[in-house]
Amino acid sequence: MSSGKKMWSAALLATAVLAVTAACGSDSGGESADGKVKVRFSYWGSDARQKMTEEAIKKFEAKNPNIDIEGEFSDFGSYYETLATKVAGNDAPDVITIEIRGLREYAERGALADLAGKVNTADIDAKVLATGSLDGKQYAIPTGVNAFSLVVNPALVEKSGQKLPDDTKWTWQDYVDLASKITAGSDGKVFGTQQSFNPGYLEIFAAQRGEKFYNGNKLGITPDTLKAWWANMQTLIKTKGTPDAAKSVEIGAQSVDQSLLGTNTGAMGMWWSNQLGAINKASGQDVSLLRMPKAEGATTGGMFLQPAMLYTASSKTEHPAEAAKFIDFMINDPEAGAIILSDRGLPASSKVLAAVKDKLPETDIKTLDFIDEVRSELSDPPAAPPKGASAMEDILTRYSEEVLFGRMTTDDAAQKFLTEANASIAG
Amino acid sequence: MADSVAVKPREAVTGPARGGGHRSTKRSRREARAAYLFLAPWFAGLLVITIGPILASLYLSFTDYSLLEEAKWVGFDNYVKMFTEDPRYISSLKVTTIYVIVSVPLQLAFALALALVLDRGLRGLAIYRSIFYLPSLLGGSVAIAILWRKVFGADGLVNALLGAFGIQGPGWVGHPDYALGTLIILHVWTFGAPMIIFLAGLRQIPSSYYEAAAVDGAGPLRQFRSITLPLLTPIIFFNLVLEIIKSFQSFTQSFIVSNGTGGPADSTLFYTLYLYLNGFRDYDMGYAAAMAWVLLLIIAGLTGVNFLASKYWVFYGDTK
Repeated sequence: MSSGKKMWSAALLATAVLAVTAACGSDSGGESADGKVKVRFSYWGSDARQKMTEEAIKKFEAKNPNIDIEGEFSDFGSYYETLATKVAGNDAPDVITIEIRGLREYAERGALADLAGKVNTADIDAKVLATGSLDGKQYAIPTGVNAFSLVVNPALVEKSGQKLPDDTKWTWQDYVDLASKITAGSDGKVFGTQQSFNPGYLEIFAAQRGEKFYNGNKLGITPDTLKAWWANMQTLIKTKGTPDAAKSVEIGAQSVDQSLLGTNTGAMGMWWSNQLGAINKASGQDVSLLRMPKAEGATTGGMFLQPAMLYTASSKTEHPAEAAKFIDFMINDPEAGAIILSDRGLPASSKVLAAVKDKLPETDIKTLDFIDEVRSELSDPPAAPPKGASAMEDILTRYSEEVLFGRMTTDDAAQKFLTEANASIAG
Repeated sequence: MADSVAVKPREAVTGPARGGGHRSTKRSRREARAAYLFLAPWFAGLLVITIGPILASLYLSFTDYSLLEEAKWVGFDNYVKMFTEDPRYISSLKVTTIYVIVSVPLQLAFALALALVLDRGLRGLAIYRSIFYLPSLLGGSVAIAILWRKVFGADGLVNALLGAFGIQGPGWVGHPDYALGTLIILHVWTFGAPMIIFLAGLRQIPSSYYEAAAVDGAGPLRQFRSITLPLLTPIIFFNLVLEIIKSFQSFTQSFIVSNGTGGPADSTLFYTLYLYLNGFRDYDMGYAAAMAWVLLLIIAGLTGVNFLASKYWVFYGDTK
């Protein structure tokens, strides 16, 4: 063989290898080599969740030997960008986990299939189930529920010489006062509470004043409500019930493990109820849930249940029946429930919840008891927010920061917030 | 994006002339064909992975594209919106410009100073070089950005030090007046890469120049001003161009330190972070693509100005 020929064949070989590897990369799914139907399932979360989910998937595959579930897992930070890219590239997973704030983005753009009648939803609270329904189509099935609540560390409250409040009666004024007293009573070692800019908090605050957060495609909140909301925060900083603005912002940007409650440097905080376990673990303390404080003379507490996550199926899936079957398994099968427990919120299906109740960790039982206790006072779960709502937390946080650092008056910030937030959800 | 802009020292461009002549035209033609064939996979990759997407993004920048629906042509709307009705865009541009203007000169000065110290022929130079280079490898990483929050946090290292002197420092990363400053320090801290290049440049300066200068009675300062600095200008220029491009594209630091928001109060909203938020959170990919193209134009423009200006201050030994 001459050197020229050698070179030719080497080059050809290189090209061929590249072509083959490229072909391997573009395996678009459908049927596996062994004739099984392949269903792709995307979700986000921690390593622990991934292990749990893989275990549940194995159970499902054992029961349905002709279906091969392929979990597509990523951390939350990169979940939506990966998902959006896959959907844009006509490579959408068959079963997609989603949050309620992003539901409309996908549903209204035709990316999701109607699951009505395909998944058994008989054991899910009708009002909770309705959050996954848009324009009469059941695009999404809630996995479980959370309530935005006040988390308290009773030991730290008592250590600073204060008493736990009667949460059926307490007002925002009581809350602010208690927080400052805790800080003072502990000589500043423990802060009363931590600032929260969570839209869930504002939603409850507004509901007590008879206002809805979202009113169709507009915000239903008045400037006065926003000003009162921020005024509480300002008072808390002034009276040292919370750290100063800079530290508040810093801890606000960190995970719940790094929160004041998590590090035993704060006695209260506001979180979604599913964070109770994480706070408990991080602090090593016995923390509990309380009702959110109320506005003076409010007729409703404004608290509500919200789906922790929702399962949806892609409208482009080649295997709608198998996708629905898998969702049904994850929602309704007690065996799946026994593995997942409360990882995706307290199970939405009442049957699954009853079946796994004994296996739940102590903090979850506490959450469950708390939700049962306040259930009769809860407002209806809000419908899925309009498109653009994913940006709401950032917008709210930004204007809250402007207020807390004194760079804007509350008047000014309220007007600007409403303008920008309305523009964001109208577009 | 623009990281394909490569500035090479002149020697590298004009390699040794090719030998061979006319004797084996058949053979050289065959070699050329083989070469093209070998290049084919790379070229295919360039087309599919680089040029294709670049052209696609140019098209998308003229559309309203949510990623989930088909793109709709909107002409120059995205570009007009950027400069007329998006105050956050303007503020991201401001934040990024301040970041570049402050951090690049500081970083280069720091890199040059350390290169000069290391060039003195310390024992264990290789070790020092590696240690100082380390931050450059780590600087853009998630771990360092998290560490930064620990160092400049309200209860962080810096405030602990200040506390020892009785000063109560603010929460640096959480305060809109200081947060950008901490990111600038982070950038300066990654001085290792330009330092290595400076070191190589210093090694190129013949020691006979210094000896001659010393004989003429020039002190170290004079030597630095009249020998080191002029002969180093091509290297400074190279580093300057590179670092300006790099820092305009900074993303990770702000993304991690501000938890992906650009906060507090938009004080660390880098251009690329805002671009990312538009594209992947707000599903406005057309607008994000338009932002990317404006960024490309800005960087290309600045690099062009840099090259033009270089005529007046960069000294290449071969140009008399």
